[in-house]
Amino acid sequence: MSDDAGGEGEANAGTDPESIGPYEAVYAHPEGEATVARQVKTAAEYGFEGVVVRTREAEYDPGTLAGRHGVDVVRGVEIDADDPQGASGAVGNFRGDCTVLLVRGGTDALNRFAVEQDRVDVLARPFDGTGDVNHVLVKAAVAHDVRIEFDLGAVLRDDGGSRVRRLRKLRKLRELVDYFDAPYVVSATPASHLRMRAPRDLAAVGEQIGFGADAVREGLAEWGRLAARNRERRADSFISPGVQRGRYEE
Amino acid sequence: MKHLPKHLQPRWRYLAVAIETWPDAGIGRRAFQRELWYAGQNLLGDPGGADADLRLMRFEIEGGSGGAIVRVRRGEVEAARAAIACVDEVNGHPVGLRISGVSGSVDAASESYLGDPAPSSTQREVAFEGADRPARRRDGAVDVDTPSGWVGATVQDTE
Repeated sequence: MSDDAGGEGEANAGTDPESIGPYEAVYAHPEGEATVARQVKTAAEYGFEGVVVRTREAEYDPGTLAGRHGVDVVRGVEIDADDPQGASGAVGNFRGDCTVLLVRGGTDALNRFAVEQDRVDVLARPFDGTGDVNHVLVKAAVAHDVRIEFDLGAVLRDDGGSRVRRLRKLRKLRELVDYFDAPYVVSATPASHLRMRAPRDLAAVGEQIGFGADAVREGLAEWGRLAARNRERRADSFISPGVQRGRYEE
Repeated sequence: MKHLPKHLQPRWRYLAVAIETWPDAGIGRRAFQRELWYAGQNLLGDPGGADADLRLMRFEIEGGSGGAIVRVRRGEVEAARAAIACVDEVNGHPVGLRISGVSGSVDAASESYLGDPAPSSTQREVAFEGADRPARRRDGAVDVDTPSGWVGATVQDTE
């Protein structure tokens, strides 16, 4: 998955998928301990090219922040529900409000729900709590074009037994993603600017845990590709899902 | 013990690390060095940690911002980079770390990548979410002291 993950046949007209730099998907105040502006400022200093904001309640204007700090700011929503029923309602409510829609996993039921929804972009933090993944989920993620998140947060912030268990799950997911050529994203899941780490440092961590530096860079850039694709789909050139205004339309 | 002849001495690289934390966090040199070695040992194992060295050569922190120079054996820079990224808390205070550059000498690393010590933070009251709160401001960044703990913001958030 290290070198060839960029070759999806997405309608990425206009943006060269190879040229997209690393993005980070962050939490912000009130869910985290830093405002969106501070996260964006820090991400710009750290060398990220874009920020996906996961917190729905955060107040910010993506255009202003992007102009001030010179990085892309993407409005996202991470749905944190207790069960698939709650998540399903939230997916319908928030899909139209955001560019990137994430569903936080953590139980087997939620993980399963997220990868079987075409409207979901990313299954976030699948290993929080008791959640796990297997070949069925990864195949479903491929079929429904849902990215599974490699959450490096526990690798960076835990130690001892909990980190070992998390590394074991990450390795299992890595082997599955490799085998089925499934889409994935990578993030350090920073809740504040102090939890953020630079793309190069994350790549070094990826290398140490056997994930590969290139795979980490791919996963960080995938956020940007995802945002570009969704923006294009939401643009006016699409008349209805799958129907795009073409050359002969006047 | 007599020191090694020049051609047998280990070659070092010096990593400049930019440090950020909350303004009231008390982080000492010894505590930071301990966390560095722990992180190296936990991520790289004892042999890897010993190879990386990770000795703190310079350390300075003032009002929530600072820098350090970490010595690393040449060829172990990427491993050391990963270990430093895994330093998450010092004395229970969360720290943000970024490796801003790598040099062949301590002085070159300090001069090129640490820059001047951060301008001292100024204390003031700021309007944040409809209330006046004590805050520390430093170079466009504002750390606001709220009832639920510190919140990182920027100057524009408090206007």
